[in-house]
Amino acid sequence: MEHNPGKYRTDLWIDWCPGCGNFGILASEIKALEELNLEPSKIAIVSGIGCSAKIIHYINANGVHSLHGRAIPFAIGIKLVRPDLTVIVNGGDGDLLGIGAGHFVALGRRNLQMTIILHDNRVYGLTKGQAAPTLPLGVKTKALAIPNIYTDINPIALAISSGYTFVARAYAFDSEHLKEIIKKAIMHRGVSLVDVLQPCVTFNDIHTADYFKKKIYKLEDEGWDPVVRDPKDIEEKALNAIRKSFEEEKIPVGIFYENSLLPTYEERLKNVIKSYPSISPGTTKIEVNGKSIFDRKLFESVFSDFIIDTE
Amino acid sequence: MNDEINIILGGPQGGGIDTSMSVIVRGLGRSGYGVIAEREYFSNIAGRHSYAHIRIKSSEIPLSIRYPVQLLASLDAETIFVHYKDVEEGGILIYNKSDEEKKLSEIVSLEESIREKISKELEEKGISDKVSSLLSFLENERKIKLVSFNYNEILRRIAEMHKLPLSYMSRYLSSILVGAVWSVLELNLDDLMYSYSIQFKGRSDRVQHNIELVKEVGKIVKTNNAHIKLEPGKLKGSKRLIVSGNDIVAIGKIVGGERFESYYPITPAVDECLLLERLAYSKFQDNNLGNLLVLQTEDEIAAATSAIGAALAGVRSSTSTSGPGFDLMAESISFAGMNEVPLVITFYQRAGPSTGMATRGGQGDLFTAIFSGHGEFARVVLSSGDHTEAFYDAIEAFNIAEKYQLPVIHLLDKFLANTLSVIPIPELEKVSIERGIIVNDTKNYKRFDLSSLISPRAFIGSNSVMWYTGDEHDEIGHISEDPENRKKMYEKRIKKLELVSKETPEDKKLSIYGSENFDFLLLGWGSVKGASVEAIKELKSEGMNGAYINVKMLWPFPSEEVKKYLKISEDIIAIDYTYDSLISKLVKMSSGINIEKSIVKYNGRPITIDEVKKSIKLILEKREKRVVLEHGA
Ligand SMILES: Cc1ncc(C[n+]2csc(CCOP(=O)(O)OP(=O)(O)O)c2C)c(N)n1
Ligand code: SF4
Repeated sequence: MEHNPGKYRTDLWIDWCPGCGNFGILASEIKALEELNLEPSKIAIVSGIGCSAKIIHYINANGVHSLHGRAIPFAIGIKLVRPDLTVIVNGGDGDLLGIGAGHFVALGRRNLQMTIILHDNRVYGLTKGQAAPTLPLGVKTKALAIPNIYTDINPIALAISSGYTFVARAYAFDSEHLKEIIKKAIMHRGVSLVDVLQPCVTFNDIHTADYFKKKIYKLEDEGWDPVVRDPKDIEEKALNAIRKSFEEEKIPVGIFYENSLLPTYEERLKNVIKSYPSISPGTTKIEVNGKSIFDRKLFESVFSDFIIDTE
Repeated sequence: MNDEINIILGGPQGGGIDTSMSVIVRGLGRSGYGVIAEREYFSNIAGRHSYAHIRIKSSEIPLSIRYPVQLLASLDAETIFVHYKDVEEGGILIYNKSDEEKKLSEIVSLEESIREKISKELEEKGISDKVSSLLSFLENERKIKLVSFNYNEILRRIAEMHKLPLSYMSRYLSSILVGAVWSVLELNLDDLMYSYSIQFKGRSDRVQHNIELVKEVGKIVKTNNAHIKLEPGKLKGSKRLIVSGNDIVAIGKIVGGERFESYYPITPAVDECLLLERLAYSKFQDNNLGNLLVLQTEDEIAAATSAIGAALAGVRSSTSTSGPGFDLMAESISFAGMNEVPLVITFYQRAGPSTGMATRGGQGDLFTAIFSGHGEFARVVLSSGDHTEAFYDAIEAFNIAEKYQLPVIHLLDKFLANTLSVIPIPELEKVSIERGIIVNDTKNYKRFDLSSLISPRAFIGSNSVMWYTGDEHDEIGHISEDPENRKKMYEKRIKKLELVSKETPEDKKLSIYGSENFDFLLLGWGSVKGASVEAIKELKSEGMNGAYINVKMLWPFPSEEVKKYLKISEDIIAIDYTYDSLISKLVKMSSGINIEKSIVKYNGRPITIDEVKKSIKLILEKREKRVVLEHGA
């Protein structure tokens, strides 16, 4: 397989703080795209706002640095009209689970084939370190005046209960492992979440690289089997995965849950619109020489319910 | 013989007013009449008072409704109390005999304040609060012909005839109103049969039962000798459309090549999306037109942002909403402005602020449409005056959005959205699809190329790679805070407005109706058009020489064009559905001209022809400056 190692990286200087976990995510994501040999013009990476969101500018693929919290619906619009594209969302924990939590949950119900990469640094980086929805209760990171008074959202549990069909956790600085998980997530038939534990060297002095290094262990080393092979096992597999995701003393990383038995949104649509996705909205012509494809005859047939014949 | 008839059908929401209205309008259309029907209802699913106001003309398509009406057909006592004043002297009232004993105080669905008002009126006239007392007043003092019969008895007869369970008959109730109209106007039953068979497609039994019901009602009307002579319909000889404003916008979008519509349900926008959904799932695939996707999202933010995503991937995409939803879309509009995205938002105004009166009309969102979103950037706001305009504007919105790469807001209102009209089939050969400059395969593609005001557009998924960001960006689409770049990009984005102004022909910016050498000028926008145009026409026959300017492009405001007309006339009157005459404010802001006289209405109800005529006279003859319209139930 031939590929150019520079093909997926733009030449922009990266403006993250030196040592930031985002570097690890960027490197692994690029490597994953490279190894999957995806054509840059057929990839769309959508981010929201925040430090993490700048990632799209560093990758040589179509990128949309969208609105705070809204990366998911932007991505849905792109994916639905061009189902042939590989669509990836990169977002911070504030972005995807705070302001954008509604979209995060709604995506699970749809099981559209796309991948969400959550930059989970437990703080709002770009606005200077406020508590993000993943920061545990009682933890006092640098920028907080008092210890965090909210309980945290568990992204793995939330994703599974919202209907995500591939749910994994990885660590930003375990590049090889993260890359493999991103590849699997992209290849998964349905919606996938990769929750990436990401040290924020500037604002999170609790969940540091040291902290993670001591606590992390791999699910696969324990012989964890995330795969749903029979519909009757869905509930049990999901519950086990959720229970597992609450482990705190030692932090498991790897694929928690994987279910390929559920039809994707694309497949569900195909049931009602037969030619979808083979005829995609984004690749069909809507005009002929600057005129509508509707002539009088077609108009009368499509809108027959509204026509009165006075003859 | 009358050329024109006005009718009100009233009853509880959920009682079938909607169905009877469409059956009647379609049947009349088939008989060659021009019809318009305005729908008023509460924000409630069943029980509150609702009504349809129908205007029929035999020689042309009417544009608006008027009071008083010649026929009031009621399903309940509330309708009689609420609308008795709307009936012309000598008109006809059809009611259920069993309502005669009802008392005003017993009608639970009536709002207390309305009850008190009616009660006072009745008292002043010496009428007791019983329907029968009001009826004898109407019969004796106002010479109104009363036609009554027991509705349930007729339904029972039909049920027996066809061995139908009696509980099933409530769904036929609305046909009593259809029967009333059909027999009072002595219309052709074949045309009604045609209408029913479209309404209840594939259910010939229902068609049959309804027709029999209509005939039963007809017998009673005949023995009462309650007839109004209406000239035969003269609009025969071609196919026509019967559509609501929502319907025609959906149809326009499809003809215009829409491929993605996202929405979060809200009145009065949702019917457009429901129709698109229905067509997408049924008709579209058989015709192999390419797929139209309709996405119901989790909120309006997702609706606007997914539409932007789809637009970036190259399809004509749009979302439809009303005030509360539009507010949530403000940040998306700003993003579309920054990234030169052809986003189309169809904005059906209702009576705000906040949830306001969700099912009533208003135009208080004029400035919201023009100014929402932060920062300075180009956007276009179009407004439609009637159904036919709405069709072409729905397509024009896409053309402008794509040609100039900016957000376009198509501003309509509840009155247009929920009004049913018979209109000619659009002239499809007049429809153009202008997609602007599109490139597919360029090396080193620069999405925001500064060498021209409008950069060639490539779609995500084409052979080029591109970047978009809500941050200020360079030609490639990467973040840049370089002051020189900032200035150039800022100018590029905003200067498009001048181009739109320059390139848009005058007839797409405004249209003018009435005399060329007018003595007074009425200026308004949106659905104010119908009543204004017809009022001007009728005043002409009374010797008053006026014209109406319908402003179609609200932003960029056509200052030069408007100035040209405003200079000619000393008597300029602005008309719209606001308190502050917002259209005057826009004219003043854009062209410096101070329109001092205004006609406004902000009670949530539609402006009627008679109201416009009366207020023009008050202004021109009594030199009043501001007339506030109040009619409406
Ligand atoms: C609607 C809106 N509200 C607030 C902001 C300000 N804002 C910019 S970045 C950010 C925090 C992002 O935090 P997170 O998503 O956790 O990403 P990180 O910076 O940590 O990668 C906020 C709140 C914004 N851009 N838009
Ligand atoms: S603030 Fe934190 S998340 Fe943002 S770049 Fe710096 S280290 Fe990374």
